[in-house]
Amino acid sequence: MGKFGADFMLGLLGVIVLAHAAYATILYRGELKIKEEEFIRPPLPVLLEIVISLALCFWGALRVPGTFLPVLPDAKENRVVTLHANLDFMRLKDGAGSTFVDLFHTKGIKILLTAVL
Amino acid sequence: MVGVGDQVELDRLEKQLDAGRKDDIVKYIDLVRKLKVRRSEKVAVHGLALLNNPSSASKLGDEVWNVYEQVAIAAMDTNNLEAAKECIGALMRKFPDSNRVGRLEGMWMEANGYWQQAEKVYATLLEATPADPFLLKRKVAMAKAQGNYSGAVDSLNKYLETFMADHDAWRELAELYTSLLMYKQAAFCYEELILGQPTNALYHLGYAELLYTMGGLENLRAAKKYYAATIELSGGRNIRALYGVVLSGTAISQLLKQTRSRNEEESMEIVTLASSVLKREYKSKAPRKLPLLSPLLEKAVSAS
Repeated sequence: MGKFGADFMLGLLGVIVLAHAAYATILYRGELKIKEEEFIRPPLPVLLEIVISLALCFWGALRVPGTFLPVLPDAKENRVVTLHANLDFMRLKDGAGSTFVDLFHTKGIKILLTAVL
Repeated sequence: MVGVGDQVELDRLEKQLDAGRKDDIVKYIDLVRKLKVRRSEKVAVHGLALLNNPSSASKLGDEVWNVYEQVAIAAMDTNNLEAAKECIGALMRKFPDSNRVGRLEGMWMEANGYWQQAEKVYATLLEATPADPFLLKRKVAMAKAQGNYSGAVDSLNKYLETFMADHDAWRELAELYTSLLMYKQAAFCYEELILGQPTNALYHLGYAELLYTMGGLENLRAAKKYYAATIELSGGRNIRALYGVVLSGTAISQLLKQTRSRNEEESMEIVTLASSVLKREYKSKAPRKLPLLSPLLEKAVSAS
């Protein structure tokens, strides 16, 4: 939980930094209006903030949802242990087998009885 | 397909059920359905208990109809035909015109051995939807259950002309051909399976085993290659493939000795490697069986 918390907080910090960058840009444009200057590009601290927030948000987004799963087919976790049963072709009554069982039940018992007697 | 994680989870839930704890019964039934494993006895017993308990059945919501179907099939598989009939009846009342429920009715006829009635049910349903894959598959299963293997092969071939990408059907056809000892045709089916899912180690293993059964130098060499492919794809954890490499390697060298083709040399490196891996695995997992295995492997390696 501690690790998850730390990663989540870093991601959250990234979002806050991004929001601050947006707020700072708005302030900067207000300032430009007062000074009556043209907007050329966002100021350097804002650009820096965006880069930092990108890195932090990436960190949070990749770490918080969970660990990466292996993609290779020969990875330990991806190994197929058995194939699924072919249920669509399931035999519900084995014609030959059940005849034998039926025969055994009727005739077999009689044969057994005669043998015993 | 059942992966390592799924197998562990299934075993855990099964152990829990065997111990008498029924908290995760819904989860178990879901997992059995998802993985398509055949656990009919457990599903029938516990599923019926679940459905007969109104409070737990109502918790399932719409999922309850899937469970009804699953339990009906499991009950038919375990020859509990009365229970199956009840489940099918409940589904019939809910979905009177459904093809899927109609198929269950046909299956119930099959389970009773009323072949002609079952055939009639399927024929009527097929009139409405001539390309229903499940109904066509049932017809194959029915032919198989009656012992008419060549009929089953014919109708499955016809089915595969339409549904060429159905891996389960190719697998079934391979098994049918194998039981008819038509290995060449079965090999073709395995080739289709490998083409369809090249990363599934178990298809490579099945093909290798078929080639090994067919015998002959060329087939044995191909078998060894496919066993090796299985080892690669399963990360060396498939014991059967390791044995396969050792056995096919030995068989190849014996064949070469018999035909005295000395100019044909077969590299035995992979055989010794596989046998050393086998020894290591036995040492760590079943040390008591190691004394049985070692002389066998030594004999195989020295013979080659």
